Amino acid sequence: MPAASYEGQRRRFVRLAIAPSLVFLLVVAGLPTLFLLVTSLTPGALVNPGSLGDFSEPLRNYKLLGGDERFVGSLVVQARLSLYTVVLQVLLGTGLALLVHSGQDRWKSLRHLFVIPMVLPPIVVAVIWKLVYTPDISPIYQAARALGFALPALTTHVDFALWAIVIADTWEWAPFTFLMVLAALQTLPAEYVEAARMDGADAWRVFGHIVLPYIAPVLLVCTLFRLIDSIKAFPLIFLLTGGGPGSVTEVTNYYAYLVAFNFGELGYSSAITVVLLAATVLISWGAMRLSRNAGAAE
Amino acid sequence: MSLMPSLDINPQRRSLLKAAAASVAVGAGGTLAFPAIAQAKPFAGVKLRGAAYQHGFFNILRKYIPEFEQQTGMTVDLQLSAFPVYNQQADLELSSGGSAWDFCNVTFILAARWVAAGLLANLSDFAADRKLTPASWNPDDFVKGAQLPYLDKAGKAYGFAWEGGAMLMGISRTDLMKKRGVEAPRTFDELMKVAEAIHGQDGGSGPVTGFVSSNLHHWFLPPYVQGFGGDFFVNPPTDIKPALDSAASVQATDFYARLLSRYSPQGVLGYTEDQARAALIGGRSNIFIHSSSWVSAMLTSPDSKVKDTARVIRMPAGPKGDFPASNSQGLGIPKNAKNKEAAWEFIKWTLSPELTARIVKDTGHPSICRRSVIESAEYKRINTINGQDLGKLYLEVLEQPGKTHNYMAYRTVKEFPLVGDVVNKAVERVVSGQQPAAESMKAAQDAALNALRRAGVKV
Repeated sequence: MPAASYEGQRRRFVRLAIAPSLVFLLVVAGLPTLFLLVTSLTPGALVNPGSLGDFSEPLRNYKLLGGDERFVGSLVVQARLSLYTVVLQVLLGTGLALLVHSGQDRWKSLRHLFVIPMVLPPIVVAVIWKLVYTPDISPIYQAARALGFALPALTTHVDFALWAIVIADTWEWAPFTFLMVLAALQTLPAEYVEAARMDGADAWRVFGHIVLPYIAPVLLVCTLFRLIDSIKAFPLIFLLTGGGPGSVTEVTNYYAYLVAFNFGELGYSSAITVVLLAATVLISWGAMRLSRNAGAAE
Repeated sequence: MSLMPSLDINPQRRSLLKAAAASVAVGAGGTLAFPAIAQAKPFAGVKLRGAAYQHGFFNILRKYIPEFEQQTGMTVDLQLSAFPVYNQQADLELSSGGSAWDFCNVTFILAARWVAAGLLANLSDFAADRKLTPASWNPDDFVKGAQLPYLDKAGKAYGFAWEGGAMLMGISRTDLMKKRGVEAPRTFDELMKVAEAIHGQDGGSGPVTGFVSSNLHHWFLPPYVQGFGGDFFVNPPTDIKPALDSAASVQATDFYARLLSRYSPQGVLGYTEDQARAALIGGRSNIFIHSSSWVSAMLTSPDSKVKDTARVIRMPAGPKGDFPASNSQGLGIPKNAKNKEAAWEFIKWTLSPELTARIVKDTGHPSICRRSVIESAEYKRINTINGQDLGKLYLEVLEQPGKTHNYMAYRTVKEFPLVGDVVNKAVERVVSGQQPAAESMKAAQDAALNALRRAGVKV
């Protein structure tokens, strides 16, 4: 059949066209993941090279994870950090986008400044905040002293250390939501808003009934992207708090780093990373489903 | 005619070359000429690769390396990285049995692990071989305390120390102490009293803190634990059951945490060594107890504002004794290095008494480990600053573990990084007010036991 033959050829062409990308992805992402999974089944330690090939008790690391208070604690810290940063970033980014979109020139002129934190290398962001949070040299602390009051050392204070990370992370990533929401707002048909205003709707009603429903899918995407990305909050923690004081800011990926490179336990660290990877995959899967459902409802 | 060497050998040309070589040999003194030439450049063409971390010593050494290359005919490629980066690279390179490096830094905190795991070549054999090493090189000349981390149970050396660190007490504001009528502290009790007396005093450009430290609590805490009669482990290195919840450990943690929480700068838990040093040499903090090179910066650094009021002395002793910490860094050869003999030639030259003495004379670099040089008149002349014989203090502390009992043995336990990390967390919890010392050290003990068991240690 000529039609089937054409369809077959088309499918073959598509497969061939995609194949290089798939092979590349497999080599770049698939093989390291497989290596990670295999390593997590061993008691692999840097100082004991033979241990990387020891599969005598493959689930030992996973069994140990449940009883590791530090690991469980790091998951809780991770959850808190993700919750605070995502909520703040979405709220702040949306607020800034609404301000800029409101049409006031003084906000529009600041549009480019808002995105600077996002394009800086993460380690530069961490250095900037290290300077801000160091009482000896920080202009904020100096100003406070000049005004006659003392600020606590945020990054080493048990009540403020996590918030210090949250503030820095929000400063860095709120621009992401800002950009996405601003782009969505710029496609909002002006006649909807004009019609609502002619009907006597105030600014809050316009926002609640027209703007918010319009940008809701974008907000959902932003939330999910930031949620997934928040799991990677490493440089800020590495440079600002080192996971401390105690374990107050020790998130799971930082703990995995310590276990691998300070303690040399590659097998156990791989198991932690596999759990983290599984959590990320689950969140991503949930995100895609939510996004799809939202799209269908629309 | 091509400038590239040709692989085609023309018999006629070879004959001519042979004849020419023979003529040169005869002309240079007959049969002795060839061996003489061969000995002069024994490693001609060898490219020696090594790695270490960024340290002033290697910047100095690099200036002398062309002489070594000239003498031996080999070229030296020395890669330097930041300390944590180097340690990670080295851990991976050595444990994977790599042969990328011919020599490397044997990092103090990792030395025990590397030696126990057999990742380094035995250097005692090289040092004892008279064909490779003259008797004058004398491996026993290295200060014994500095060599301990690089020895296995049989006493064989897997590294030789190029750098020593001796824990000393730096006092920056003797002017304020005089004003307050307090003397340099000699005991733990006096240390607390002096910190209290100075803390908050006006230092001219703001209040001065009584004490300062950095975030390496697993390095700063042990002298207090030992001074109160305890240790990190029950009996290291043979019995490595942690002893973090012993009465002495709790007392020491409480003592050290009080120094940090009451008499140190705001945010001290996040201080790096550089920040603590800056506070000391700027006269903003009065006492910093750390390795000699950090505290003697008060006297030697061009940035120091306290040269006239600074003193470097032994750290205070505890009620149960005097246990100033010491450490060292070594040079070693990876087990699978390709050019072991050439690498030994390099280590031998780098740590020879002659070059060590020259480095001291030319640059004033003080933290060496050759006893004969440390005790020399030249070293004493260079390292006596403002009437303070820093070399004497340095040698006293460096020798201490070799003289009494090896109280630094806790650092030679290969699982020490696990326990050290737990101790850091415990101190932070106490200083930040999350837990009292007894509770925090009990939690640390449990965490250390769990971590050791997870790592396969039977405790």
